[in-house]
Amino acid sequence: MSAAVLQLIDVYKNFGGVEVLKSVELSIPDGEMHAIIGPNGAGKTTLTNLITGKYPLSKGQLLFRGRSIDGLKPHERSRLGIGRSFQIINVFKEMTVFENVRNAVLSRRGVRLQMLRGITRYAEVTQETREVVEMVGLSADSERLAATLPYGAQRALEIALTLALAPQLVLLDEPAAGLSAAETRDITALIRRTMVGRTLVFIEHDMEVVFALADRISVLHYGRILVQGTPDEIRANDEVRRVYLGYRDA
Amino acid sequence: MPLAFMIVFGFLNGTAYGLLLFLLASGLTLVFGLLGVLNLAHASFYMLGAYIAFELVRLTGTFWAALLLAPLIVAAIGALVERVMLRRVHVLGHGHQLLLTLGVSYVALELAKWYWGTASLPLRPPDLLKGSIDIVVGSYPIYRLFICAAALVVLVCLAVILFKTRLGMIVRASVSDSEMVSALGYNVGNVFTGVFALGALLAGVAGVIAAPMLSVYPGMAADILVDLFIVVVIGGLGSLPGALLASLMLGWAQSFGILFVPEFAMLFSFALMVVVLMFRPLGLFGERSA
Amino acid sequence: MTRRSSHILRAGIAIAIFVAMYAGSVVLPKAQLFTLTDVLILGLFATSYNILLGYGGQLSFGHSAYFGLGAYSCALMLLHVPGIAPPLAMLGGVGVAALGGLVIGFICVRRSGAYFSMLTLAFGMLCYTAAWKWRTVTQGDDGFGAFVPAEWVFPLIGSIKTGDLAQMYRVVLVIVAVVLLVTWLLMNHTPYGNAIRSIRQNEERASFLGYDVFFAKLVNYVLASAVAGLAGSLLVISHNFVSTDVIGIDRSTEVVMMTYIGGTGWFFGPLLGSAFVVVVGDLLATVTTRWQLVMGVLFILMVMYAPKGFSGVVRYLFDRSALERRRPL
Repeated sequence: MSAAVLQLIDVYKNFGGVEVLKSVELSIPDGEMHAIIGPNGAGKTTLTNLITGKYPLSKGQLLFRGRSIDGLKPHERSRLGIGRSFQIINVFKEMTVFENVRNAVLSRRGVRLQMLRGITRYAEVTQETREVVEMVGLSADSERLAATLPYGAQRALEIALTLALAPQLVLLDEPAAGLSAAETRDITALIRRTMVGRTLVFIEHDMEVVFALADRISVLHYGRILVQGTPDEIRANDEVRRVYLGYRDA
Repeated sequence: MPLAFMIVFGFLNGTAYGLLLFLLASGLTLVFGLLGVLNLAHASFYMLGAYIAFELVRLTGTFWAALLLAPLIVAAIGALVERVMLRRVHVLGHGHQLLLTLGVSYVALELAKWYWGTASLPLRPPDLLKGSIDIVVGSYPIYRLFICAAALVVLVCLAVILFKTRLGMIVRASVSDSEMVSALGYNVGNVFTGVFALGALLAGVAGVIAAPMLSVYPGMAADILVDLFIVVVIGGLGSLPGALLASLMLGWAQSFGILFVPEFAMLFSFALMVVVLMFRPLGLFGERSA
Repeated sequence: MTRRSSHILRAGIAIAIFVAMYAGSVVLPKAQLFTLTDVLILGLFATSYNILLGYGGQLSFGHSAYFGLGAYSCALMLLHVPGIAPPLAMLGGVGVAALGGLVIGFICVRRSGAYFSMLTLAFGMLCYTAAWKWRTVTQGDDGFGAFVPAEWVFPLIGSIKTGDLAQMYRVVLVIVAVVLLVTWLLMNHTPYGNAIRSIRQNEERASFLGYDVFFAKLVNYVLASAVAGLAGSLLVISHNFVSTDVIGIDRSTEVVMMTYIGGTGWFFGPLLGSAFVVVVGDLLATVTTRWQLVMGVLFILMVMYAPKGFSGVVRYLFDRSALERRRPL
C-alpha cells in the first residue's frame, strides 16, 4: 500500500446550494511539500477547513494514513497529528509569546486539563516551549503580549503554534500573507528548516514561495483541480498560464 | 367538561398565548438581528406596556386609548434607552450589552414595584370584548379571540412594513449588513434606534393586550421571559418562521398541559425544549450567527 | 521587585487579612459579624460565578440554581437525617449542586453566547419554580428552619455552638479561605486554569490545538456549580433557615451584579463586590426601602462608565502596586 499521508477521493463541498469544491482528488505521500494555488475564491481555504475538520464533507472520502477522518472534530484531528495555521492571524492575543506556544506544547503532551500540579512545575513543557520559540526566532520577544508584536513576528508565532504540536501533517494557509520581501525569505527558510520529516500542504499566492518550497503543486480553479504536477510541469503548462499565472509569452 | 370542548378550548388558548409569544419574539428577533444583542429588558417593555395601559385606562376610562398610546410611550422609552445607554456600551462587545440590558430590566422592575406596588392590578377588558361567544362545542371568552386577532393584525402590519416599504427594506438590509448600509449613506445610528424602538413597541402592544387576561403585576416580565427564551432557543434567534412555529407549539403544549395535567403544566415548556434540542441541537431552523 | 519577593508580599498581605478577620471575631459586635459572614458566603458564591464569567467567558443568568440546590439539599439532609454532621450535609449539598451542573450544563454548554445565557436563565427559572411549587418538601416561599444541630463537633479540635455568631463566623471564614485558596491555585496556576482562560480568549484556536472545548467548558461549569453549592450550604447553616430566596432570578441577578461590580478580571474582585453590595446595601436599607433600585442604577452606571468594576478602578489608581496585572478581562 502507498504511504499516502493524506487522501481526498472525489470530494465535494457545497454550502446551501453553492458548490465550492467539485470532485477533488488529492493524494499526498509521506514527506512531500505540496502547494495548492489558485485564484481567489477557488476554494483553497475551504479545502483546508475540510481537511482540518471545520466543515464536514458533502460527498467523497477523506483519509489520513488510510483512515477516514470525516466526522472527526478539529481537536480530534489535531490529536491524530494534523496541524494547521490560519490565513488571518489567530493567536491568543492577551497572552505572551511564551504562553501561546506553551498552550500547544501542553496539548501535545496531553497535559490539558490537569488540576493537580502547578503549571510551572512541568519542566519538560517549559523547556520544549523555549525550544520552539527559539526555533522560530522569537526568543527576544518571548515575554511580549502577542497583540503587541509586529505583523511579521505574529506570522512567525502563528506558525510556531502549529509546529509546537509536532504534527505529522501540516497545513499552512498563506503563511507569507502580508509579509515584506525580506520577511518572506525568512519565513520560507523557517518553513524549509522545520518541515524536515513532516508532510506539508500549503496555500500560497506568492509564487516565489511556492516554487521555492513545493515538491508538487495542485492548481485549484472554481473548486476543481485544474492540473497537478511538479513546479516545472506547472510552469510550462499553458492552461495554468492562461488562467492563473497570466503570462502572455512562453 | 366534555372532551371535544376541552380540545377546542385548549387549542384556542394555546393559539392566543402562542401568538402573544410570537409578538414578543418577533421584536426580540429584530433587535437581535440588528444589534446582535439579546435584549433582556424586552420583557420589561412588555411589563411597562401593561402598567402604562393600566394608568391610561385609569385616566381616560377607555381601553382603546391605552392600546393606542401605551405602546408609543414604551417605544419612546426604548428609543431613549438605546440612544443614551446601549449606544455607549455597543463598542464594549456583546457581553457588556447583555449586562446593560440586565441592569435596565432590574431597574425597570424596581421602578415598577416602587410606583405601583407589588400587588396584582386588574385591567378590565372593554365592554365590547367582555363575555363569551358561542362556538359550537361550548362558549369561549371573546377577549381571547381578540388577542389572536390583534396579534395577527399587528404582525401582518409588521410584515407589510418590512417587506413592502422602502423603510422596511432599509431595516432588513441593516439587519443583514449594517456596514454596507452605512456606506450607502444611510444613518445607521437612526436605524438602530428605530428598530430598537420598534421592538419596544411590539413588546408594549403585547403587554397591553395581555394585561386583561394575565393581569398586571411586577413578576409578569420574568414569567413570560422564560417562555420567550424557550421559544427563541427552539425556533432559532434569527428565524421568524421558527419563532412562530415554536411559539405556537409552546402555547399549545402549555394550554393542553394546564387542562389535562395542571400540576405539571410548567414543565411542559421545558420538556418541549429539551425534546427539540435533543433532536435538533441548533433549534428547529438552525442558528443564525450574530 | 522580583517575582519571588512579589509573591511573598502578596502571600503576606493575604495572611495578614486573614488573621485580622479572624481576630476581628472577638472585637466586632454581633450585627457586624452576621454581615461579615454573609459577605464571605456571598463572596464565595460570586467567586464561583466568576469561574464561569471572568475565567470561562460564559455569561450565565441562572447560577442561583446551584446555590439553591446546595442550600436545599444541605438543609433537607440536616432536617431528615438524624444526627448527621454538618460537614456531611454540606458535602451532600455540593454533590447535588454539581450533579445539577452536570445535567443542566450538558444541555447549555454546547451553545454559546446569547443562547447559552438564555438556556441558563430558563433552567434557573425551572429550579425556582420546582422549589416554589414542591411545598411538601421545601415549604415553598415560606421556607423552613431549625434544622442545624445546636452543637457542631470537629473531631480532634473540639466543638462549637452553632448559635454563637462569633464561632460560626470563624468556621465560615476558615472554610471560605481554604476553598478560595484552592480555587485560586486551580484557576491561576494549573494547566486546567490556563486551558480555560485560553479557550475564553480563542476557542477556535484552542480547539485546533487539540483542546476538547466542550468537555473543558462542561468541567468548568460543574466546578462553578459545586462551589456555588458549597456557598449555598454554608448560607443555610449559618442562617439556620432556607426559603425560595436562595434560588431564582433575583438571586441570579444579584450575583451577576456583585461579580461585575467587584470586577471580573481579578480573582478577588467578586469578593470585593460582595462586600460592597452587602455592606452598602445594609447602609442604604436604613435610608430607603428602595435600596435595590439604587444598586441597579449603580450597576448600570458601572457597565457604562467603569466596565472593569471596582478592581479595575483600584488597579488604575495603584498602577505600580503588587496587585497582579496580567489577567485582563
